[in-house]
Amino acid sequence: MANGPLRGLRILDLTHVWAGPLATRILADLGAEVVKIEAPMGRGPRFYGGIPIGGFIGREPGEEPYNNNAAFVKLQRNKKSVALDLKTQEGRQVFLDLVAKSDVVIENFSARAMADLELDYRHLQKANPQVIHVAMPGFGLTGPYSNRVAFGPTVEPMSGLTHVMGYDEHELRSTAMALPDPIAALHAVSAVLTAIQKRAITGFGELVEMSLHESAVSAHGAWIVETQLSDRKLSPQGNKHPAMAPHGVYSCNGDDEWVAIACRDDKDWRSLCSCIGEDLDAKLNLAERKSKHDEIDRQISLWCTERPPEEVVHTLQENRVPAGHVRITPQMTSDPHVQFREFFVPLEKNTPIPGNPIKMDKVSPADWTPCPRLGEHNECILKNWLGLTDEQASRLKHLNIIVDKPPR
Amino acid sequence: MLAVVEIGGYAAGYCGRLFAQTGNFVTRIDMGQTLPAWTSKEAMDVFLHSDKSMLETQDRNEVNRLVNSADIVVLETSTADEIEQVGFDGWSCPVKVVISPFGRTGPYKNWQATSSTLLAMGGFTNLMGDPDRAPLTLPGHFVEFQSGGFAYAASLACALADETNSIDIGMLEVVMALSQFTTVMWHCASIVRSRHGNDFWSVVPTNLFRCRDGWVYINIVPGFWDPFVAFLELPELVLDERFVTNTRRMQNRQELHEITAGVLAKLTRNEVQQRAVDCRIPLGAVLSFEEVLDDVHLAARNMWISRSTPSGHAVNVPRLPWLCHDKFPTDQLAHS
Repeated sequence: MANGPLRGLRILDLTHVWAGPLATRILADLGAEVVKIEAPMGRGPRFYGGIPIGGFIGREPGEEPYNNNAAFVKLQRNKKSVALDLKTQEGRQVFLDLVAKSDVVIENFSARAMADLELDYRHLQKANPQVIHVAMPGFGLTGPYSNRVAFGPTVEPMSGLTHVMGYDEHELRSTAMALPDPIAALHAVSAVLTAIQKRAITGFGELVEMSLHESAVSAHGAWIVETQLSDRKLSPQGNKHPAMAPHGVYSCNGDDEWVAIACRDDKDWRSLCSCIGEDLDAKLNLAERKSKHDEIDRQISLWCTERPPEEVVHTLQENRVPAGHVRITPQMTSDPHVQFREFFVPLEKNTPIPGNPIKMDKVSPADWTPCPRLGEHNECILKNWLGLTDEQASRLKHLNIIVDKPPR
Repeated sequence: MLAVVEIGGYAAGYCGRLFAQTGNFVTRIDMGQTLPAWTSKEAMDVFLHSDKSMLETQDRNEVNRLVNSADIVVLETSTADEIEQVGFDGWSCPVKVVISPFGRTGPYKNWQATSSTLLAMGGFTNLMGDPDRAPLTLPGHFVEFQSGGFAYAASLACALADETNSIDIGMLEVVMALSQFTTVMWHCASIVRSRHGNDFWSVVPTNLFRCRDGWVYINIVPGFWDPFVAFLELPELVLDERFVTNTRRMQNRQELHEITAGVLAKLTRNEVQQRAVDCRIPLGAVLSFEEVLDDVHLAARNMWISRSTPSGHAVNVPRLPWLCHDKFPTDQLAHS
């Protein structure tokens, strides 16, 4: 288990897919004791028919392919695993006994799921009045959309983002990567810690609703205010920026090689002109640069296409102009700055997994543990938290209430 | 209640917003720096800085006095050298967090950056846009606000533990930490994830489709295939060999997209949405921010709080993205 300021905080984690597991990974990195409560089939079947979306960790399915799904493993470091059948009465009771010993229960099921299991906040509160239940249904627990199905990619356009993203107003584009999920993850972490802060004052737990939809809308709050203050019609502008010019992504020498370049102010612009040459007028102000943006883009593109991206970036950075190479994964992980800061953590069979951007004393990947196997901590948690005997734990295992493999 | 001092741009501002909206006392020190934003300064100020105490000063002694009497200080700078110039290391505030583009150490610690250059370096930009065209950057302040979220989490965690600490947050690492399965896809499956327009690519159909009066996004992960064919009112597709598995749907994506587009083009956005609700498939309409403001669900959940701009306009601002209850919300009972 990781060290860190959250050491001693016990979290029962019933989350799945991306937003929830990312939230609990961040909390686990900070030292919280996160116990994944997993359904026996929560990692999929015992035998896989194909290759999961992110491949297998270590590139091989191994004898336990369900434990080696790379996209899953990536999100589970520093956690413990209890595989528990909550659909049995005894499994449900074991869970409630664990709730009684926990600070937080977090889940991202649909709005009805916890109530259907008779494990909604009414039941959790009876087991432990101090427990904080963080529910992350797509559209919240109440309201006209609460029963709708929500995934990050379908919530994203409902937040307003898609309406302002694209090549122009006729060619809208989504991020195609479920952006609301990581936003909700960070908000869920904030919600957990805020509730802990509040509990320290009130002495009581509470139900915290963290809707994927509202999280995404909230992140666009400045645009929402702007809409009410301005007559300006918000629409996609390609890679242009309303307050920076030039601002774009430019083709470089090489196959599908690009750099992002931005001039925040007149000073950046003058520096850019000094790099690119006489064809650009260093005296132009922002309004003038915006009105001539397409022509300026053409000049920058001509300069960039003759150079590899590394040269473009280094030349501009030496002159203090913001520039960044549009990177693919192997370029990111081999980057000297990223390596210097040891951001990627080779914890899982030497696979570089993104670390935690919070760098501080007592939080170190040297203390971190890899993704647990399904049910790896069944007995240890039930004995240490609930005081079960070997016989009692064996009985639960015999009845398949706790498991360490998916059912056949 | 914690006393928080905030100095810097939109990442520090978002961190301070979270502290202010959760009942802590936040003082924003404005040192005269104006950064480019995707909106007007007025809109950004109302969104980020309502409910904070504001102080304009460049007097180092006054800044030091305020910081040293706070529980938490959140500083945002554009380079590592600026962190030292501001005097961060000399501050005696128990929890200090600094957000900068590349963090306090490393060869790029003094490189210049904007949100778009960080998204590029962090692997996001390559995934957005069309394969045969320039990649698209992400509009808005995702990088800054998520960095602010990490700063909030880290500094509040230390304060809750009554722990003195100095926290370094690099925005490039924030971007990389929030990547989806992109990095493992390369390292574990040798696949470079790339951009495919609106198509999520590895789950089909997951794409933007035009209907009679707008656009909708559909995300049909394998478990939703049967409800999806019901949604299309084309039940024969269940048995169609071209589409029986996600792999087959990937191989025949063009045909499936054409079938889907053909059905949706005849329907209004509301009709499509109602069918999606009836068939329980994941679908979201593309909404403008005006439509987001008018959304009935958000209104029913009291998403908006009223705030005044410096020029006296009353505007609706999103509340915190989470809601707290000491009891189970009663209208959930009807659903369950």
